[in-house]
Amino acid sequence: MNATSPESPLTPPPAVPRPHVAVRSGPAAADADGPPKISVRGLDFHYGKQQALFGNDLDIAANRVTAVIGPSGCGKSTHLRVYNRIYQLYRDQRASGEVLLDGVNLLSPATDLIELRRRVGMIFQKPTPFPMSIYENVAYGLKLHYRLGKGEMAEAVERALRGAALWDEVKDALDRPGTALSGGQQQRLCIARAIAVRPEVLLMDEPTSAIDPVATAKIEDLIEELKRDFTIVVVTHNMQQAARVSDFTAFFFEGRIVEFGATRQIFTKPVHRQTEDYITGRFG
Amino acid sequence: MRRRSSRGRKAADAAVRAVASLAALLGIGVLALILAEVARRGAPALDGAFFTALPGPPGVEGGGLANAILGTLALTAAATAIGVPLGMLAGVYLSEFGRDTRLGAAVRFCVNVLMGLPSILVGLFVWTVLVVPFRSFSGHAGAVALALIMLPVVARTTEDMLALVPHALREGALAVGAPRWRSTLIAFKAARGGLITGVLLAVARVSGETAPLLFTALNSPFWPRSMSEPVANLTVTVFQYAMSPYADWQAKAWGASLLIMAAVLTTSLLARTFARERTR
Repeated sequence: MNATSPESPLTPPPAVPRPHVAVRSGPAAADADGPPKISVRGLDFHYGKQQALFGNDLDIAANRVTAVIGPSGCGKSTHLRVYNRIYQLYRDQRASGEVLLDGVNLLSPATDLIELRRRVGMIFQKPTPFPMSIYENVAYGLKLHYRLGKGEMAEAVERALRGAALWDEVKDALDRPGTALSGGQQQRLCIARAIAVRPEVLLMDEPTSAIDPVATAKIEDLIEELKRDFTIVVVTHNMQQAARVSDFTAFFFEGRIVEFGATRQIFTKPVHRQTEDYITGRFG
Repeated sequence: MRRRSSRGRKAADAAVRAVASLAALLGIGVLALILAEVARRGAPALDGAFFTALPGPPGVEGGGLANAILGTLALTAAATAIGVPLGMLAGVYLSEFGRDTRLGAAVRFCVNVLMGLPSILVGLFVWTVLVVPFRSFSGHAGAVALALIMLPVVARTTEDMLALVPHALREGALAVGAPRWRSTLIAFKAARGGLITGVLLAVARVSGETAPLLFTALNSPFWPRSMSEPVANLTVTVFQYAMSPYADWQAKAWGASLLIMAAVLTTSLLARTFARERTR
């Protein structure tokens, strides 16, 4: 990379650690290589007059799984929902600060929301299959963003379903309604729908809290697979899940990021008392 | 502490249950009586000519109400074509875009007022704007009057049905990059069963309306040829024939009543099956 090249707002900044990268505790983005995929700086969030997030700073490493943990109502989901600006569906919700995706502030009014959401996919707590066939569910996003012939579309749908480890279970029933699948299958269908449009980041908002343990194990395995191609941020209530699937963990409390670091470090040698108390189950 | 005896409580329970059951039976009983009476009196009038022939001259036996049947179908279809799209769009606005806005609240209030408006007022209103200026009663005016009655019903059901669709579904659509209107379309699709129910109930509601047609479509002894002329219809026919001194016309009024009742009942039952499919 040429250090003297003028920085256009559209090109990512060079892979130099940012001077203010220090997050509240521990080594930020411990063993991640390259620049962070997402850098959050001074993020505040309001529901009407009520402030829900306070000066969040966070770096999300590319092609890694970052877990976001913390007690109910601490702002985990709120924080996640800023990354694809889905919160904008609601009139009284406001975010301020900076969220840089590849160095470009996605909170800027100039951001094309549709393109942002193609790049940053989201999986919700409850599976949200659309009221249409399995095939149409996966093709839905593809049709929004790409012009594909019939054959290309079928290929892309198959690729997405394979990527979500669902293909073998549904390949003979692609015209059945997506809502007829089991909860775990529905969630993988939503993952297929999300990865079909080739996003760069996948946001998962408690993706397994509404499904059974066996289906949960499948999705956790899937997350492990998916991080090769995607940067993943997963909000979870489940401490073991965070420990199992993530490389980095951020601990939220009352709208603030108390501690952030490598998952192993957070779970074995947390710096903050609050983190330790939460992880060991003393509150939350 | 002295405990209350359970006898009083049980007696009260039995009494409330008895009174409520009686009220329910009374309601069903009255409906059954009406159905039976209309069927008994109306059935003999429903011969072949009733469905195929034009009405005869006053006092002459025979003839039929084929023109009124056709006219009612045409008026209801035209009213549906106007009222349903408008009502649904208003419902979409209320549910998706105007939910917490002042305009939304105002629109919702107006819809409720419109819903409670006596249908004869709607008829009078349309008479002043669509009949008087054109110096002619017309099918158009009748259809508009019926559409105005459908509009609030459809708008409210649309809003209510869309409100039942979880927000997560719309977010799911937005999250893969769908524009707002497409996510609304998804919600629409999810609410399909309920929306069809709402439309059918609105159709059932207007197919029995008489007052709004009296001042607008009026009635006619001829085949409905154009919506710019008075259009024959069943309900006004019932009104006129039932008041006439001719036994044959009175019998035909009963026949027409039976037909309207059967149509409304069928539509309502159809609406129920769609509603059931929705809850599945």
